[in-house]
Amino acid sequence: MNWRQLIPLIIFFPLLLLQVTIIPLISIESIIPDLLLIAVVYYSILHGQIYGTILGSIYGILFDLIAGSLLGSSMLSKTVAGFIAGYYSSETKRDQYLNSYSFTFVIFLCALTDTAIYSFFSAWDFNINLFRILFNYSLLPSIYTTIISSIVLIIPYKKGFN
Amino acid sequence: MIKFLSNAWSNFKEYVILCLLVILSLILLSQNQNQKVQKVRAIAFGSFSTVTSVFSNLFSSARITEENEELRKANAELMMQISKLREYGITNEQLRGLIGLKDTANLPLIPATVVSKSLSLTQHTITLNAGLKDSVKPGMPVVNYSGLIGMVHSSSENFSIVRTLKNVDLKLTVKNERSRIHGIMKWDGEEFIIVNIPKTYDFEIGDRIITSELSSIVPVPLPVGLVQEIDDVETEVFKRIKVRPFVDLLSVENLFIVGIVNSTQKQNLELNFYR
Repeated sequence: MNWRQLIPLIIFFPLLLLQVTIIPLISIESIIPDLLLIAVVYYSILHGQIYGTILGSIYGILFDLIAGSLLGSSMLSKTVAGFIAGYYSSETKRDQYLNSYSFTFVIFLCALTDTAIYSFFSAWDFNINLFRILFNYSLLPSIYTTIISSIVLIIPYKKGFN
Repeated sequence: MIKFLSNAWSNFKEYVILCLLVILSLILLSQNQNQKVQKVRAIAFGSFSTVTSVFSNLFSSARITEENEELRKANAELMMQISKLREYGITNEQLRGLIGLKDTANLPLIPATVVSKSLSLTQHTITLNAGLKDSVKPGMPVVNYSGLIGMVHSSSENFSIVRTLKNVDLKLTVKNERSRIHGIMKWDGEEFIIVNIPKTYDFEIGDRIITSELSSIVPVPLPVGLVQEIDDVETEVFKRIKVRPFVDLLSVENLFIVGIVNSTQKQNLELNFYR
């Protein structure tokens, strides 16, 4: 492990600070983008699947502990999201995924998985329609996260987070 | 055997790590009510909130003029209501004295400010800058000048996490102030609904909903919201009452923690019925 692989752990707290103080100001009907997920996906593509899976679980458990959500729910959802993002981490295609709009596609896919798993554990109720859960709790936040993630594309990745 | 395991590890290590972490998450999910886990959580959010409180002060000062304007308006309205209520209060006290009822209205209010918000459609929580040091305990209701906001979920030395009404885990016993009918109100991720209300029960659009004295969580009447819509499907036995809360949960900044927790003596006595 080199020092660059420690950067995501260092930026976790500033990101979480943004997530709980500034991001609520741009919420739309309680729907907010997930900065932590964007970071997990980015570093998962950059450093590989195993790294992404472990990073997802660390980000998830810290978020659960600090934000007061159901302990283990974010850990599970972000672990799986990091794992899926890792599939787009091949040596040959890494640049392509991090520098093009393919990144937003990966974000959308991972955000959809992340929010679907999170919602399943935090909001499952037999009275609620499964389609409604997926639409309200999963699809809409995923779209918002995807839109915000396009900002990452403005930053050249070799000068930015790497 | 070792060679087989070594081969399996090198071929499937990503999946092995994923499985281990998923199992660990599921174990943690089952340990949410564990006292030790609650302590670790209190330390974690307490430490982080110290940093967040400095940060959020910068943002809240930018909106202070707007909030002052709102508070002045609310203050003027409340002043008018107070003089009216004072009259009612005196009469009420005299009547209570006559029939020997105990007064339960004096509730201590602990002021607090929101230092961070965790917005989620199903698990909406906020962190306040008041904790065990200020006598805040889990289970205390949180209000502002408009009405009920939520309940204290856990507390550290200086900070507390509050589950707001927009949290699917918070279900409240409420009542219609006009018709005195009780029901269970919950957040379903989209709207506040009072569920399983028989069709013959008297609910009208615009009725005020307050917390019920029967509630094991909030045993004092606190304003919650107004009846917004009544779903009365002919083929169903019950109707669903949609409620619009008095409080705008997304913009709350300054609020009060009501310094009461439900009496354990009362709870134990009530639970005797089930033994």
